[in-house]
Amino acid sequence: MPTAKRASRTNANDSCKKITDLIFNYLTDRLTPPVRTEFERHLRICPDCVNFLNTYKKTVSLSGSLGTREIPRNVRRTVLAFLRQKMHRIVVLFFSLLAQTTA
Amino acid sequence: MPAMTALEAPRSRASMSPAVMRKAIVKPSDATRVRRRRKSAQTDTAIVERLKNDDQEALETVFDLYSKKLYNVAQRILGEAADTEEVIQDVFWTVYRKAKFFKGDSQLSTWLYRLTVNAALGRVRRSKKKKEVEYEEFLPKFQEDGHHRVRPVVDWSDTLDEKYAQREIQALLGKALDQLKPLDKSIIILSDLEGLSDKEISATVSLTVSAVKTRLHRARLFLRGHLAVQLGHSAA
Repeated sequence: MPTAKRASRTNANDSCKKITDLIFNYLTDRLTPPVRTEFERHLRICPDCVNFLNTYKKTVSLSGSLGTREIPRNVRRTVLAFLRQKMHRIVVLFFSLLAQTTA
Repeated sequence: MPAMTALEAPRSRASMSPAVMRKAIVKPSDATRVRRRRKSAQTDTAIVERLKNDDQEALETVFDLYSKKLYNVAQRILGEAADTEEVIQDVFWTVYRKAKFFKGDSQLSTWLYRLTVNAALGRVRRSKKKKEVEYEEFLPKFQEDGHHRVRPVVDWSDTLDEKYAQREIQALLGKALDQLKPLDKSIIILSDLEGLSDKEISATVSLTVSAVKTRLHRARLFLRGHLAVQLGHSAA
Protein backbone atom coordinates (compact mmCIF):
# COMPACT_ATOMS: atom_id res chain seq x y z
CA MET A 1 0.00 0.00 0.00
CA PRO A 2 1.53 3.33 -0.98
CA THR A 3 1.44 5.17 2.31
CA ALA A 4 4.10 7.29 3.91
CA LYS A 5 3.76 5.38 7.20
CA ARG A 6 4.64 2.12 5.55
CA ALA A 7 7.33 3.80 3.52
CA SER A 8 9.10 4.97 6.66
CA ARG A 9 9.64 1.34 7.73
CA THR A 10 11.60 0.48 4.62
CA ASN A 11 15.22 -0.50 5.13
CA ALA A 12 18.29 -1.32 3.10
CA ASN A 13 17.28 -4.96 2.50
CA ASP A 14 14.26 -4.03 0.44
CA SER A 15 12.72 -6.77 -1.60
CA CYS A 16 11.22 -6.22 -5.02
CA LYS A 17 7.74 -6.48 -3.47
CA LYS A 18 8.44 -3.58 -1.12
CA ILE A 19 9.89 -1.57 -3.99
CA THR A 20 6.76 -2.21 -6.05
CA ASP A 21 4.60 -1.01 -3.16
CA LEU A 22 6.63 2.21 -3.01
CA ILE A 23 6.55 3.07 -6.72
CA PHE A 24 3.46 5.25 -6.39
CA ASN A 25 4.98 7.47 -3.72
CA TYR A 26 8.39 7.46 -5.44
CA LEU A 27 6.96 8.81 -8.68
CA THR A 28 5.00 11.50 -6.89
CA ASP A 29 7.98 12.50 -4.77
CA ARG A 30 6.38 11.52 -1.50
CA LEU A 31 9.08 9.26 -0.11
CA THR A 32 11.16 10.53 2.78
CA PRO A 33 14.79 11.17 1.72
CA PRO A 34 16.17 8.06 3.49
CA VAL A 35 13.50 5.81 1.97
CA ARG A 36 14.09 7.33 -1.44
CA THR A 37 17.82 6.69 -1.10
CA GLU A 38 17.15 3.04 -0.24
CA PHE A 39 14.67 2.78 -3.10
CA GLU A 40 17.23 4.12 -5.56
CA ARG A 41 19.93 1.90 -4.07
CA HIS A 42 17.75 -1.11 -4.80
CA LEU A 43 17.22 0.07 -8.38
CA ARG A 44 20.99 0.18 -8.89
CA ILE A 45 21.31 -3.52 -8.18
CA CYS A 46 18.00 -4.87 -9.50
CA PRO A 47 17.38 -4.74 -13.28
CA ASP A 48 13.99 -6.41 -12.78
CA CYS A 49 12.76 -3.51 -10.66
CA VAL A 50 14.19 -0.98 -13.13
CA ASN A 51 12.28 -2.70 -15.93
CA PHE A 52 9.16 -2.94 -13.79
CA LEU A 53 9.39 0.77 -12.97
CA ASN A 54 9.83 1.66 -16.65
CA THR A 55 6.75 -0.30 -17.68
CA TYR A 56 4.71 1.16 -14.79
CA LYS A 57 5.66 4.68 -15.88
CA LYS A 58 4.89 3.86 -19.50
CA THR A 59 1.44 2.66 -18.46
CA VAL A 60 0.75 5.91 -16.63
CA SER A 61 1.95 8.04 -19.53
CA LEU A 62 -0.18 5.99 -21.95
CA SER A 63 -3.26 6.52 -19.78
CA GLY A 64 -2.56 10.24 -19.81
CA SER A 65 -2.19 10.31 -23.58
CA LEU A 66 -5.58 8.78 -24.33
CA GLY A 67 -6.70 12.28 -25.08
CA THR A 68 -10.04 14.00 -25.00
CA ARG A 69 -12.66 14.04 -27.69
CA GLU A 70 -14.83 16.96 -28.63
CA ILE A 71 -18.43 16.61 -27.52
CA PRO A 72 -20.31 15.69 -30.73
CA ARG A 73 -22.26 18.61 -32.20
CA ASN A 74 -25.57 16.74 -32.21
CA VAL A 75 -25.12 15.83 -28.53
CA ARG A 76 -24.32 19.42 -27.66
CA ARG A 77 -27.39 20.63 -29.54
CA THR A 78 -29.68 18.02 -27.96
CA VAL A 79 -28.50 18.65 -24.41
CA LEU A 80 -28.72 22.44 -24.73
CA ALA A 81 -32.20 22.17 -26.26
CA PHE A 82 -33.27 19.91 -23.38
CA LEU A 83 -31.94 22.36 -20.77
CA ARG A 84 -33.52 25.40 -22.42
CA GLN A 85 -36.86 23.63 -22.63
CA LYS A 86 -36.73 22.62 -18.97
CA MET A 87 -35.76 26.14 -17.87
CA HIS A 88 -38.51 27.62 -20.01
CA ARG A 89 -41.06 25.32 -18.36
CA ILE A 90 -39.95 26.47 -14.93
CA VAL A 91 -40.36 30.13 -15.91
CA VAL A 92 -43.85 29.44 -17.33
CA LEU A 93 -44.80 27.52 -14.18
CA PHE A 94 -43.48 30.32 -11.97
CA PHE A 95 -45.53 33.01 -13.75
CA SER A 96 -48.70 30.90 -13.80
CA LEU A 97 -48.36 30.33 -10.06
CA LEU A 98 -47.70 34.04 -9.56
CA ALA A 99 -50.80 34.89 -11.57
CA GLN A 100 -52.90 32.49 -9.51
CA THR A 101 -51.75 33.94 -6.17
CA THR A 102 -52.27 37.54 -7.24
CA ALA A 103 -55.67 36.88 -8.86
CA MET B 1 36.21 -2.74 -16.47
CA PRO B 2 33.95 -2.31 -13.42
CA ALA B 3 30.76 -4.39 -13.33
CA MET B 4 27.68 -2.63 -14.64
CA THR B 5 24.92 -1.92 -12.22
CA ALA B 6 21.30 -2.31 -13.24
CA LEU B 7 20.90 1.40 -13.77
CA GLU B 8 23.96 1.53 -16.01
CA ALA B 9 22.81 -1.32 -18.19
CA PRO B 10 22.73 -0.40 -21.87
CA ARG B 11 19.05 -1.21 -22.44
CA SER B 12 16.40 1.46 -22.52
CA ARG B 13 16.42 4.31 -20.04
CA ALA B 14 18.46 2.36 -17.56
CA SER B 15 21.26 4.91 -17.87
CA MET B 16 19.05 7.67 -16.52
CA SER B 17 19.57 8.84 -12.98
CA PRO B 18 16.82 7.85 -10.52
CA ALA B 19 15.86 11.52 -10.19
CA VAL B 20 15.20 11.71 -13.91
CA MET B 21 13.34 8.41 -13.86
CA ARG B 22 11.10 9.69 -11.10
CA LYS B 23 9.95 12.64 -13.19
CA ALA B 24 7.78 10.53 -15.45
CA ILE B 25 4.45 11.49 -13.97
CA VAL B 26 4.06 15.08 -14.98
CA LYS B 27 1.32 17.00 -13.30
CA PRO B 28 1.23 20.78 -12.88
CA SER B 29 3.42 22.07 -10.05
CA ASP B 30 1.74 23.09 -6.80
CA ALA B 31 2.31 26.79 -7.57
CA THR B 32 0.75 26.47 -11.03
CA ARG B 33 -2.11 24.49 -9.56
CA VAL B 34 -2.74 27.16 -6.89
CA ARG B 35 -2.62 29.98 -9.49
CA ARG B 36 -5.05 28.17 -11.79
CA ARG B 37 -7.30 27.26 -8.88
CA ARG B 38 -7.51 30.89 -7.69
CA LYS B 39 -8.37 32.14 -11.16
CA SER B 40 -10.96 29.44 -11.77
CA ALA B 41 -12.35 29.87 -8.24
CA GLN B 42 -13.07 33.55 -8.96
CA THR B 43 -14.85 32.63 -12.21
CA ASP B 44 -16.67 29.74 -10.52
CA THR B 45 -17.90 31.87 -7.60
CA ALA B 46 -19.36 34.41 -10.01
CA ILE B 47 -21.04 31.70 -12.08
CA VAL B 48 -22.51 29.97 -9.03
CA GLU B 49 -23.90 33.29 -7.79
CA ARG B 50 -25.58 33.81 -11.15
CA LEU B 51 -26.98 30.28 -11.08
CA LYS B 52 -28.37 30.89 -7.61
CA ASN B 53 -30.19 33.88 -9.04
CA ASP B 54 -31.76 31.69 -11.73
CA ASP B 55 -29.63 33.20 -14.46
CA GLN B 56 -30.25 30.78 -17.31
CA GLU B 57 -27.30 32.02 -19.33
CA ALA B 58 -25.05 31.04 -16.44
CA LEU B 59 -25.98 27.41 -17.01
CA GLU B 60 -24.92 27.71 -20.63
CA THR B 61 -21.66 29.28 -19.47
CA VAL B 62 -21.05 26.29 -17.18
CA PHE B 63 -21.93 24.02 -20.08
CA ASP B 64 -19.43 25.75 -22.36
CA LEU B 65 -16.71 25.59 -19.73
CA TYR B 66 -17.13 22.03 -18.53
CA SER B 67 -19.20 19.93 -20.94
CA LYS B 68 -16.21 18.63 -22.90
CA LYS B 69 -14.38 17.43 -19.78
CA LEU B 70 -17.49 15.90 -18.24
CA TYR B 71 -18.51 14.27 -21.51
CA ASN B 72 -15.11 12.61 -21.78
CA VAL B 73 -15.20 11.38 -18.18
CA ALA B 74 -18.71 9.92 -18.61
CA GLN B 75 -17.88 8.45 -22.01
CA ARG B 76 -14.80 6.68 -20.66
CA ILE B 77 -16.70 5.27 -17.69
CA LEU B 78 -19.74 4.19 -19.70
CA GLY B 79 -18.44 3.48 -23.18
CA GLU B 80 -21.95 4.01 -24.56
CA ALA B 81 -22.67 7.24 -26.45
CA ALA B 82 -26.41 7.28 -25.72
CA ASP B 83 -25.92 6.76 -21.99
CA THR B 84 -23.26 9.45 -21.96
CA GLU B 85 -25.64 11.99 -23.49
CA GLU B 86 -28.27 11.24 -20.86
CA VAL B 87 -25.74 11.49 -18.05
CA ILE B 88 -24.53 14.88 -19.27
CA GLN B 89 -28.12 16.07 -19.60
CA ASP B 90 -28.93 14.96 -16.04
CA VAL B 91 -25.76 16.49 -14.63
CA PHE B 92 -26.39 19.96 -16.04
CA TRP B 93 -30.04 19.90 -15.09
CA THR B 94 -29.03 18.95 -11.54
CA VAL B 95 -26.55 21.83 -11.53
CA TYR B 96 -29.31 24.26 -12.38
CA ARG B 97 -31.73 22.86 -9.79
CA LYS B 98 -29.24 22.38 -6.96
CA ALA B 99 -26.99 25.40 -7.39
CA LYS B 100 -28.77 27.06 -4.46
CA PHE B 101 -27.45 24.31 -2.19
CA PHE B 102 -23.87 24.58 -3.40
CA LYS B 103 -22.03 26.04 -0.42
CA GLY B 104 -18.66 26.40 -2.08
CA ASP B 105 -16.91 23.97 0.29
CA SER B 106 -15.37 22.38 -2.77
CA GLN B 107 -14.55 23.78 -6.20
CA LEU B 108 -17.31 23.94 -8.77
CA SER B 109 -15.32 21.53 -10.96
CA THR B 110 -15.12 18.98 -8.12
CA TRP B 111 -18.90 19.17 -7.68
CA LEU B 112 -19.41 18.70 -11.42
CA TYR B 113 -17.01 15.77 -11.57
CA ARG B 114 -18.78 14.23 -8.54
CA LEU B 115 -22.19 14.55 -10.18
CA THR B 116 -20.87 13.06 -13.41
CA VAL B 117 -19.00 10.15 -11.84
CA ASN B 118 -21.96 9.31 -9.56
CA ALA B 119 -24.43 9.44 -12.45
CA ALA B 120 -22.20 7.32 -14.67
CA LEU B 121 -21.46 4.77 -11.94
CA GLY B 122 -25.17 4.59 -11.12
CA ARG B 123 -25.90 3.69 -14.73
CA VAL B 124 -23.16 1.09 -14.76
CA ARG B 125 -24.65 -0.49 -11.62
CA ARG B 126 -28.13 -0.58 -13.13
CA SER B 127 -26.96 -1.99 -16.44
CA LYS B 128 -26.23 -5.65 -17.05
CA LYS B 129 -23.29 -6.64 -14.98
CA LYS B 130 -20.21 -7.62 -16.90
CA LYS B 131 -18.26 -10.51 -15.52
CA GLU B 132 -15.54 -8.91 -13.43
CA VAL B 133 -11.96 -9.83 -14.17
CA GLU B 134 -9.88 -10.99 -11.22
CA TYR B 135 -7.18 -8.39 -10.60
CA GLU B 136 -4.82 -11.00 -9.14
CA GLU B 137 -4.26 -12.50 -12.56
CA PHE B 138 -2.63 -9.28 -13.79
CA LEU B 139 -0.84 -8.09 -10.67
CA PRO B 140 2.87 -8.68 -10.10
CA LYS B 141 3.75 -11.89 -8.28
CA PHE B 142 6.56 -12.36 -5.83
CA GLN B 143 8.48 -15.22 -4.29
CA GLU B 144 8.40 -15.77 -0.55
CA ASP B 145 11.60 -13.74 -0.15
CA GLY B 146 9.86 -10.82 -1.90
CA HIS B 147 11.69 -11.00 -5.24
CA HIS B 148 9.89 -11.08 -8.59
CA ARG B 149 8.51 -14.55 -9.25
CA VAL B 150 9.00 -14.36 -13.02
CA ARG B 151 12.45 -13.19 -14.02
CA PRO B 152 13.69 -11.40 -15.93
CA VAL B 153 11.00 -8.74 -15.92
CA VAL B 154 10.78 -7.54 -19.53
CA ASP B 155 10.99 -3.83 -20.22
CA TRP B 156 8.57 -3.37 -23.11
CA SER B 157 8.26 0.38 -22.56
CA ASP B 158 10.82 1.32 -25.22
CA THR B 159 9.76 -1.09 -27.92
CA LEU B 160 6.02 -0.47 -27.63
CA ASP B 161 6.03 2.67 -29.78
CA GLU B 162 8.23 0.99 -32.38
CA LYS B 163 6.10 -2.11 -32.71
CA TYR B 164 2.62 -0.62 -32.56
CA ALA B 165 0.86 2.35 -34.06
CA GLN B 166 -0.55 4.90 -31.63
CA ARG B 167 -4.09 3.79 -32.40
CA GLU B 168 -3.24 0.16 -31.66
CA ILE B 169 -1.65 1.10 -28.35
CA GLN B 170 -4.72 3.12 -27.39
CA ALA B 171 -6.92 0.15 -28.30
CA LEU B 172 -4.82 -2.14 -26.08
CA LEU B 173 -5.04 0.30 -23.20
CA GLY B 174 -8.75 0.88 -23.77
CA LYS B 175 -9.31 -2.87 -23.54
CA ALA B 176 -7.38 -3.00 -20.27
CA LEU B 177 -9.26 0.04 -18.89
CA ASP B 178 -12.58 -1.65 -19.64
CA GLN B 179 -11.58 -4.57 -17.44
CA LEU B 180 -11.14 -2.35 -14.39
CA LYS B 181 -13.82 -2.12 -11.72
CA PRO B 182 -15.93 0.97 -12.54
CA LEU B 183 -14.81 2.94 -9.48
CA ASP B 184 -11.14 2.20 -10.15
CA LYS B 185 -11.62 3.14 -13.78
CA SER B 186 -13.13 6.45 -12.66
CA ILE B 187 -10.14 7.10 -10.42
CA ILE B 188 -7.67 6.38 -13.23
CA ILE B 189 -9.61 8.69 -15.56
CA LEU B 190 -9.74 11.52 -13.01
CA SER B 191 -6.06 11.14 -12.18
CA ASP B 192 -4.25 10.23 -15.36
CA LEU B 193 -6.55 11.78 -17.96
CA GLU B 194 -8.01 14.75 -16.14
CA GLY B 195 -4.95 15.45 -14.00
CA LEU B 196 -6.83 15.85 -10.72
CA SER B 197 -4.84 15.65 -7.49
CA ASP B 198 -5.42 12.75 -5.08
CA LYS B 199 -7.21 15.19 -2.77
CA GLU B 200 -9.54 16.38 -5.53
CA ILE B 201 -10.28 12.79 -6.52
CA SER B 202 -10.95 11.95 -2.88
CA ALA B 203 -13.56 14.74 -2.74
CA THR B 204 -15.04 13.60 -6.04
CA VAL B 205 -15.49 9.91 -5.27
CA SER B 206 -16.01 10.29 -1.51
CA LEU B 207 -13.07 8.14 -0.46
CA THR B 208 -10.16 9.01 1.79
CA VAL B 209 -7.00 10.24 0.07
CA SER B 210 -5.25 7.10 1.28
CA ALA B 211 -7.93 4.87 -0.27
CA VAL B 212 -7.66 6.80 -3.54
CA LYS B 213 -3.88 6.30 -3.64
CA THR B 214 -4.20 2.60 -2.89
CA ARG B 215 -6.84 2.08 -5.59
CA LEU B 216 -4.92 4.18 -8.09
CA HIS B 217 -1.70 2.23 -7.55
CA ARG B 218 -3.48 -1.13 -7.77
CA ALA B 219 -5.38 -0.10 -10.89
CA ARG B 220 -2.14 1.03 -12.53
CA LEU B 221 -0.49 -2.27 -11.62
CA PHE B 222 -3.45 -4.05 -13.18
CA LEU B 223 -3.27 -1.97 -16.37
CA ARG B 224 0.47 -2.55 -16.58
CA GLY B 225 0.01 -6.30 -16.16
CA HIS B 226 -2.83 -6.40 -18.66
CA LEU B 227 -0.76 -4.52 -21.23
CA ALA B 228 2.20 -6.85 -20.60
CA VAL B 229 0.02 -9.92 -21.21
CA GLN B 230 -1.50 -8.41 -24.37
CA LEU B 231 2.05 -7.78 -25.60
CA GLY B 232 2.96 -11.40 -24.99
CA HIS B 233 4.85 -11.02 -21.73
CA SER B 234 4.19 -12.11 -18.17
CA ALA B 235 2.13 -9.80 -15.97
CA ALA B 236 4.60 -10.52 -13.20
